[in-house]
Amino acid sequence: MQRIITVSLNRNAYQLEEMAHARLGSWLLEAAGRLRDNPDRVEILADLEQAVADQCLRRMRNDQTVITLEELEPALGEVGQVELPAEETSATPAPTAAPTSPPLQQVTEGAFISGVCRGLAHHAGLDVTLVRVVALILLFFTGGGMILLYLALMLLIPYAPMGTGTGKVRKLPLKSREMVTWLKLKLSAVTG
Amino acid sequence: MSSLRKGLLEFLVLKIVGANSVYVPDILRRLAVTEFATQEGTLYPLLSKLRREALVQYEWQESDVGPPRKYYRLTAAGQARLTALDEYWNRLNQTISDLGQAPCNASSLSA
Repeated sequence: MQRIITVSLNRNAYQLEEMAHARLGSWLLEAAGRLRDNPDRVEILADLEQAVADQCLRRMRNDQTVITLEELEPALGEVGQVELPAEETSATPAPTAAPTSPPLQQVTEGAFISGVCRGLAHHAGLDVTLVRVVALILLFFTGGGMILLYLALMLLIPYAPMGTGTGKVRKLPLKSREMVTWLKLKLSAVTG
Repeated sequence: MSSLRKGLLEFLVLKIVGANSVYVPDILRRLAVTEFATQEGTLYPLLSKLRREALVQYEWQESDVGPPRKYYRLTAAGQARLTALDEYWNRLNQTISDLGQAPCNASSLSA
């Protein structure tokens, strides 16, 4: 059974199944990332939200009230990910050298809470069990400190694309990923 | 080829917006039948750039079937830019077709 989540797209309410909600969240976050240097970022994102909503509604049956991945996926394909005009490609410095270790990202697959330990282990080339044991020891000695640190890392370390890691996708990491993604999206709209 | 297409898309959008006041699905429909078919993800950032450059502007219009729509049209500066681009395009066409032909003296010699 899937939960239903109500969201506001360009200030209209829409209902989505939770998988569709997670997919839309990561799509919008990627769009926001590509537009990060754009002065009209908020307006363009609102236009795109509207375009996605229109495309979903067009694909729904008359008696259908909830958007599922079945409508969302082709809708996102139709709208297309953000491409900046020729002269406005955001000035991302080209990577100068091949990275020696994988980037520090949270890995959702196989994670227990959010994927911070798994991400750190992946990045540093350590065994995830070792990182978890260290984290638990720190939790024991620092009490609340470690919990705060974990929460901070959860918010700060970006998520690896789904499919990066291996292992079971548990409910809690998926949920926390979804929550953090939407939180960041809201923040990016406020600070934009 | 793709950077050429990207640059030309701006010209084509100015041309479509110049022909009459349109909203985004109109523009997408006009382009869909050409080799410049594109998507909202490309078009909205482009229109916002053109608006920042004061070449186009939009106004909201109520719609019978959904939320209000943004109708875009050219500003005076946009009209001037379009005219300049049109002239440039014609000159360019002339240059390209001239360069594709043998020079006059060579053709007269071979005749």
